[in-house]
Amino acid sequence: MKSILNAALLILIIINMASCTKKVDTSEKVLNLAVRSKVKGMDPIYANDMYSSNEVARVYEGLLEYHYLTRPYTLVPNLAESLPAVSKNGMVYTFKIKKGVLFHDDKAFEGGLGRELTAEDFVYSIKRLADPKLQSLGWWILDGKIKGLNEWRDKYADLPKVDYTEEVEGVKAVDKYTLQFTLEKSFPQFLYSLAMPFTFAVPKEAVDLYGKEFLNHPVGTGPFILPMFKQSNKIVYTKNTKFRKKYYPSTASEEFKKAGFLEDAGKELPLVDKIVVNIIIEDQPRWLNFQKGKIEYLGIPKDNFDSAITPSRDLSPDFIAKGINLLVSPSLDVTYTAFNHDNKLFSNVNLRRAMSLAFDINKANNLFYNNNAMPAQSIVPPGIAGNIKGYVNPYRGPNVEKAKQVLVEAGYPNGEGLPEITYDCPSSTVSRQIGEYFKKQMAQIGITIKVVQNPWPELQKKILNRTVMTYGIAWGADYPDAENFLQLLYGPNKSPGANGSGYNNEEFNQLYKSASVMQDSPQRTALYEKMNRIAAEQVPWIYGVHRQGFVLHHAWLKNYINADFNSGQAQYLNVDLKEKEKFIKKL
Amino acid sequence: MNLYIYVIRRLLYVIPVLLGVCLIIFILFNVVSPDPTFMMLGKHASLKQMEELRRELGLDRHWFLQYLDIVKSAFTMDFGRSWSTKQDILEMIKIGSIPSLTLSVPAFVLSTIISISISLLVAFYRGSGLDKFVVFLCVFLMSVSSLAYILFGQKILAFDFGLFEISGYEPGFPYFIPFIMLPMIIWIILGLGPDVRFYRTVILDEVYQDYVRTARSKGLTERAVLFKHILKNAMIPIITYVIIRIPFLILGALLLESFFGIPGLGGITLNAINSSDFPVIRAMTILSAVAYIIFSVLTDILYTVVDPRVRLK
Repeated sequence: MKSILNAALLILIIINMASCTKKVDTSEKVLNLAVRSKVKGMDPIYANDMYSSNEVARVYEGLLEYHYLTRPYTLVPNLAESLPAVSKNGMVYTFKIKKGVLFHDDKAFEGGLGRELTAEDFVYSIKRLADPKLQSLGWWILDGKIKGLNEWRDKYADLPKVDYTEEVEGVKAVDKYTLQFTLEKSFPQFLYSLAMPFTFAVPKEAVDLYGKEFLNHPVGTGPFILPMFKQSNKIVYTKNTKFRKKYYPSTASEEFKKAGFLEDAGKELPLVDKIVVNIIIEDQPRWLNFQKGKIEYLGIPKDNFDSAITPSRDLSPDFIAKGINLLVSPSLDVTYTAFNHDNKLFSNVNLRRAMSLAFDINKANNLFYNNNAMPAQSIVPPGIAGNIKGYVNPYRGPNVEKAKQVLVEAGYPNGEGLPEITYDCPSSTVSRQIGEYFKKQMAQIGITIKVVQNPWPELQKKILNRTVMTYGIAWGADYPDAENFLQLLYGPNKSPGANGSGYNNEEFNQLYKSASVMQDSPQRTALYEKMNRIAAEQVPWIYGVHRQGFVLHHAWLKNYINADFNSGQAQYLNVDLKEKEKFIKKL
Repeated sequence: MNLYIYVIRRLLYVIPVLLGVCLIIFILFNVVSPDPTFMMLGKHASLKQMEELRRELGLDRHWFLQYLDIVKSAFTMDFGRSWSTKQDILEMIKIGSIPSLTLSVPAFVLSTIISISISLLVAFYRGSGLDKFVVFLCVFLMSVSSLAYILFGQKILAFDFGLFEISGYEPGFPYFIPFIMLPMIIWIILGLGPDVRFYRTVILDEVYQDYVRTARSKGLTERAVLFKHILKNAMIPIITYVIIRIPFLILGALLLESFFGIPGLGGITLNAINSSDFPVIRAMTILSAVAYIIFSVLTDILYTVVDPRVRLK
């Protein structure tokens, strides 16, 4: 009897402990975030996905960053004193580094105190990115761009050890605070790479001390400190109390001014004391935790879309009453179905046009994107120079009658004489559904499609080896420049380069060649627009959509912007504790 | 036969089994599966960089040397680093095993105790309304998808009623308890159906044996018959069923860990599969094989403890 009583008591204690669910803390400025994927580690050279680069950018910093409140995206100095001096031929970039910037305190440094950042740290970090032994995931941004760097990399590829003391002509510390890059050829987009986490400054002492474990011991100059990274479900950063004097911007684009984003203007960064990043892979717990106020903002999961957004695309009144706000922002991306232009069949432009005309993008938008995306008219998405406002692609579907007519002009009336065309896609459920939809659309004009699903590496291999006929895929911008999209259709970039479809148009190539060495200017934009028109009318791909982000955030979260390039965003975010206390009761 | 000799002999079986496991792993990942460098380098993969990466990973070497590498890692338990996260795999396993075990061990123990207790009860009242109800309940519980329990538990019990945490995990005792309560309850419910049906059948097999009638005719109480005779004789299939599942506890519960944000080995395995992280998948497969062999030896030894008729040969 006694043992039964003891057991009952134990169960009661456990149930009591279980029912003590954690309440949301409103006593300090904590930024509670959620990410949907495991974070790889904290080494900038491996931060090739959005999740890892966001984490890396809380601790590390680069020479440049995007102005937080300016659109279109504008590069501004971060660890650089100012924008670089560029030589007349556009090949030499000279940076002055900010003085007095300190690395975080760490045992890697003498006395455990962070030392001052110098130009040599950038030289070292760039060489690390190129180190053949480390196989960084960001090498592509510098590959063939900096004078002597490829030779340095190739030289050590087969040697047992890499010598970092060997000078590379294209990346030099002229003095303690002056850094100079010399390029192989003019490449104005080079500056974007200096705002990417791959090129952020790491101290040699920490890399030497921690060796392969460096990715778990982040030591940067950034606004937040993470003493040690552990593969867990939670990453907790604290404010860097020795962070250099950096202030919230006092200027902004009109849209941000009007929306009250300058309330914190001039305040010292970072604005919060702590960041807690929760790794929640599944949609439902992320969604429920957001509604309980345990996460500050969240992209609406596909399955919960209708419960939060009304048919008129507004936020539902229930959510408004709880102090939840909606942000809708276009992403710099494009989804598409590419033709393999090595296949003679697709050298027939009328066949490509007919297929594009037969494809009902509006229905696809409704079926696969909750009608939230923007049908793409060409390759360059809205929001960057090169996109033509109001332009309508003459071969954009749905127009089945015209498609049938163009198919006759192509020499295949009602699809007669055409072989079965394969459509390769990734093996996810949605990709398969899109494939089946494509098949159905093409059947309307008599074209037979066979959908082939592939694991992601297999699909990449097929594209690279050119064994596909058509394939469905998407491209997200690496930097906010139309060149990043247009390169996908530049003939000499043909696979294994970025041009997976192998499209090759002499006029387009000439325009690309001219524009790629030009600095940002109206003349360059005109060339971009011309290429964008060719890309629309020649239909090298069947364009899909530019996706849009529907993000919810709580009223207490201030200064939040949903942006494509926001890796350093956390330092600008603020938490209004009074608002939080008020609204948390309603959740 | 001496117990030690038996154990050593059985453990020596690990060698050919591991060689076989290594061969299967090698064929699956080096021959059948697609090139992992595509996955690792992402959308900017160039042929040259892929070639360099293959060289760095040793994938350009003779197939036999690559097979030997797998064998070496299996016997030294040095699995190297993850291709995807660059983390030390043994360290990843060490870190991940604790959250997995904090969920799986109490859930497994409680689930086993509850299932055996219910089975004994229904076996005692076999054929009664209670027995029929429990059998019906078991079939019902088994018919509902595990995902339905998870979604219902999180939405209703955790979100609407606030009885449990929705997801997450805090390391250290007793901080993890609120976070494992709901997944543990779901684990127990998920196990009840098949477990009770199995144990009930095993116990009922014994109930009609001659020795049970003898015990009853000797005037023993029903409780003594049930616990001292029936349960003891039913222990062999029960032990087999229970112990052979222990190695899989270490692997964690893929779905539960994923939905409840428990940073255990289940999540590590799932992540490795999704990112073609061959060294991690290899490590988890080898560890499971070793654990399976060790626990099957343990099962054999326990047979001799619970049933003196069993002799090790």
